[in-house]
Amino acid sequence: MGGAATRGWLGAGIVGIALLAALPFFANPYLVATGLTLLMWLALTQSWCVLSKMTGYVSLGHVVFYGIGAYLVVITWQSWPLPLAIAAAGALAALFAVVIGLPVLRVRGPYFVILTFGIAELVKYSILAGEAASGTASRILFGAPDLLVIYFAMFALAAAATLLLVLVSRSRFGQGLRSLRENEEAAETLGVPVVRYKLLAFVLSAAIPGMVGAVMALRSTYFVVGQVFDPMISVTVIAMALLGGGDDARGPILGTLFLFIVSEVLWVRAPLAYMLILGAVLAGFVLLAPGGILGIVDSARARRARPA
Amino acid sequence: MSTSAAAPLLEVRDLGKRFGGLTALAGVSFSVSAGETIGVMGANGAGKTTLFSLIAGNARPSTGSIALDGQRIDGLSPDKICRLGVARTFQIVKPFPGLTVLENLRTAAMFGRVALTDRGRADRHAMAVLDEIGMTELAAAPAFTLTLAAQKRLEVARAIATGARIVLLDEVMAGLTGTEVAQMLETLRRIRDSRGLTLVVIEHVMQALMKLCTRIVVLHHGERIAEGTPEAIGRDQRVLSVYFGAATT
Repeated sequence: MGGAATRGWLGAGIVGIALLAALPFFANPYLVATGLTLLMWLALTQSWCVLSKMTGYVSLGHVVFYGIGAYLVVITWQSWPLPLAIAAAGALAALFAVVIGLPVLRVRGPYFVILTFGIAELVKYSILAGEAASGTASRILFGAPDLLVIYFAMFALAAAATLLLVLVSRSRFGQGLRSLRENEEAAETLGVPVVRYKLLAFVLSAAIPGMVGAVMALRSTYFVVGQVFDPMISVTVIAMALLGGGDDARGPILGTLFLFIVSEVLWVRAPLAYMLILGAVLAGFVLLAPGGILGIVDSARARRARPA
Repeated sequence: MSTSAAAPLLEVRDLGKRFGGLTALAGVSFSVSAGETIGVMGANGAGKTTLFSLIAGNARPSTGSIALDGQRIDGLSPDKICRLGVARTFQIVKPFPGLTVLENLRTAAMFGRVALTDRGRADRHAMAVLDEIGMTELAAAPAFTLTLAAQKRLEVARAIATGARIVLLDEVMAGLTGTEVAQMLETLRRIRDSRGLTLVVIEHVMQALMKLCTRIVVLHHGERIAEGTPEAIGRDQRVLSVYFGAATT
């Protein structure tokens, strides 16, 4: 990537950050809530990429960390101070990743995909069963903080997730992760401590969605287990990452923005054909531009840069 | 070398490997001194690649021991063994296909024995290896675009870029044309001498083995049946009968 291109990305990034930071001060609550959702998807997608884009271990269970975080905030509601509960949600999600990481990361490819999906569903139904046994089908949360507070908490998480992927992507650790993604046995034979690195990537990618779930739980005054463990959250994250392409922090930004805007527009303009069109867009990308938006942008730039 | 003068660089003692009921390797012993080039010969299924997998840590031995510079390394993980100075290539090449040639070597330089954690230094080290092996012009090429011959050279370059003291080369000349074999031989000799490497070479191209090695170990059905200079091996009755099916006069 040339210097001009780097400056271009940096400029766009600064404008985007300024816009999102200023949004709550000029926009109506509906727009602020929309911005909050965008930031949530950005944080989730960036954190997913730390594991799945960098190592090629595609997780279909990212929502499990989100759900665990949300659940922790709900059950500690009004007994723990909120900042503590949110931090604890991140720690609990990371701890969960440590516990399941070693056995789960022994399998690759479709097995890993199915296993992560299964674990997320298992946790969901375990909590559902626990709630049913204790007779609490749903919970109502009173006294949640103001939308503005929630918005900036999510802003911080999205920024942290983006920074995390930037740092990982540029580091020696990232070089090791990319190598094991390309060929795990070769990477290990060249000195990459693959078992430790995979686990660390898994744990790093789990903490942020834990906190995102915790913050999002404050948005609805009413908590349903099925909602915070909804597999569609995992699927949407993957779609956003695929659409963005690449394995650094630019891809998730492009993919999240694109899918978010397209689905918001479609939702309003074509509520009936919404899912159909979205599906067609996704299929089109996978077939015609497997490198995602970033792949299209980079190859267009390479074509321009090549002397005629 | 600071260790006792008598200790060989690599010592394999009574090494065995069973896969269920199949014995891939049984009671194989040999040692390699620093600076030597040892050839490993044997028909398909003789246990040559299994031997490399055991030394490099990709598989655990069922019996026996492996020592590097007098220190046991059997049972260690491949990444630890690599950092101690043992590198291997794979018979079926295993490049990082989506990374460039330089990025392939960067991993070796950053994580191998040289452990150049700074990317700039790692890349300079990698470029020096590429220059020596004659791949400088391919540095920016994604590995999946390379020809088989170039991928074989990439395997060798990557192993050397770890800064290994001993390099296990698994059929790096198989599938190459006569000219390419000659080039690879020349390259291996040059790098071995300039970097003071110790080589263990599995090869079916007999002529190459004869030209490169100081000593040859012959495996047959997982057992060591002969060991000696290339000339002695060329005259060994057991080796000839294994290879050609009958004793010659």
